[in-house]
Amino acid sequence: MTGWLAMQRTLAPALIGLAMLVAGPVMAAPKQIVADLSNSRVDITSSYHGTELLLFGAYEGMPGDDIILVVQGPATDIIQRRKAKRAGIWVNVETKIWQQAPSFYHVFATDDLSSITDEQGLGNASVGPLSRGLSFTSGTDDSGNGHGGGTPLSSGAAIAGNPEQQDNLRRNMQANGLWQVLPSSIFTQQDMLFRASLSLPSNIPPGEYSVRVLHFRDGVALSEQATDMNVRKAGLSALIYRFAHDYSALYGIFAIIFAVASGWLAAAAFRRK
Amino acid sequence: MYIYLPIAEVSMHIGIIIGLGGGVGFLSGLFGVGGGFLMTPLLIFFGIPPAVAVSTEANQIVASSVSGVLAHMRRGNVDFKMGAILMAGGMIGSTLGVALFSFLRDIGQIDLVIQLSYVVFLGIIGALMLTESLRTIIRSRTPGAARGKLHQHNWLHGLPLKMRFRRSKLYISALLPLAIGAFVGVLAAIMGVGGGFIMVPAMIYLLGMPTSVVVGTSLFQIIFVTANVTLLQSIQTQTVDFLLAGLLLFGAVIGAQFGSRAGAVLRGEQLRGLLALLVLAVCVKIGYDLVVRPEDLLSVELVR
Repeated sequence: MTGWLAMQRTLAPALIGLAMLVAGPVMAAPKQIVADLSNSRVDITSSYHGTELLLFGAYEGMPGDDIILVVQGPATDIIQRRKAKRAGIWVNVETKIWQQAPSFYHVFATDDLSSITDEQGLGNASVGPLSRGLSFTSGTDDSGNGHGGGTPLSSGAAIAGNPEQQDNLRRNMQANGLWQVLPSSIFTQQDMLFRASLSLPSNIPPGEYSVRVLHFRDGVALSEQATDMNVRKAGLSALIYRFAHDYSALYGIFAIIFAVASGWLAAAAFRRK
Repeated sequence: MYIYLPIAEVSMHIGIIIGLGGGVGFLSGLFGVGGGFLMTPLLIFFGIPPAVAVSTEANQIVASSVSGVLAHMRRGNVDFKMGAILMAGGMIGSTLGVALFSFLRDIGQIDLVIQLSYVVFLGIIGALMLTESLRTIIRSRTPGAARGKLHQHNWLHGLPLKMRFRRSKLYISALLPLAIGAFVGVLAAIMGVGGGFIMVPAMIYLLGMPTSVVVGTSLFQIIFVTANVTLLQSIQTQTVDFLLAGLLLFGAVIGAQFGSRAGAVLRGEQLRGLLALLVLAVCVKIGYDLVVRPEDLLSVELVR
């Protein structure tokens, strides 16, 4: 009972409501995990500069259990380039295109991933941006003529990356903040409730996201639940983006007219002074 | 207050954007240049993708050139006939430039070509301006120095299709301004500049135009060249960020007013000397970035 009282003091009413809701079914069907997002839609408006979402839920846990949360963005091709020194300057000499890689991949956990489970366990639960196995097409332009040129891509078959190449991709994607692993970022209470604060960066790629929560015990995922999250441009920024892409010629003409008009206005305004 | 730029797809502090516009606007007002050669590298430095920086800057230069050319038109300092020929060349050149830009972007070499163009052209122009202004300053201190001829005649004046340009007091082949316009047009499209810093010396030294009409005529043709780049980039690459251009413009209009007032205090050769140092500083910074080993040799880009 003390747990209930402590919880009522510290948690938001919404959370309690959810806990009450699952308290019944949990008895009948153990190993369940349920979760919800404070907001399943992220609007990238003109004032967007990253945002915070709350993910909360309940699970039927035991002491020592862990939770891993995966926020995965839409699949996209990632172009990776390697620089080398040619004629005294650093130029791109090699291009890889990683096919259908997650554009965004943030992993949250109650602990270090390595103390929750091993590589095999993560692989079995499809955790990790490369867990589904990525491949790339590659081409070199290492002719050494100083400035590159020629075709950057061979038309050869896709090659799966070796561990070193995968580490390189991971490092690059971590540097721009799109792939992250955040250990000890999920907080649990009474082995029953959990919550995590998802901090979304300002460079988040728009699209359909999936949010998966996994309940781990002894290195094995007992249960899993997935919810969707929609990240999209909204308001003025969506309007400008759609205008630029759907009516690009008109957009260009409009941009020119706007520039001519404001240049004219500026000259007129400051001439009178 | 941060603002999310819909085409660049990055969020930037509004103070930085307007401050950049104001700062570059001040310098452009001070020196009487467009300022594209400063703004485009600065935008890239602040994390705007190079393609968006170049296209958006073209859009902004349309506005600043319109604003600048009006004063020159009132004083009759625009040679419209010469401007039209240069513009025709500029249209061809900038169209080629935009196509070249797309091609270089596809093969992953656009950043390199932008950087190399900056190093080469800013280096040449900066060095020429610096020596010229130093020579003027020295000459002004030694009275009685001999003056050169107004302009020399050479093989360039033997080309066909001769035309008379009354306002510029010239009778030269139309092919020459056409070629200059085309060349500067290519550079304008690739470097995200108006090209005045190349056009003006070319008009004085290659065409032999009187200095009174070069700036106005250059601004006149830049309007059309940058408008062409804006339109073509909008259609082909959708990289013109209207919101970014508008905010930069807002800062630039105000900055330019203060700049031109400050410029009235300094003498012409002193201004040119300072501008030369600024041009060389940008050249050295970009050149340094090319030769110093990058922190990470690998880089990624998401295909949208």
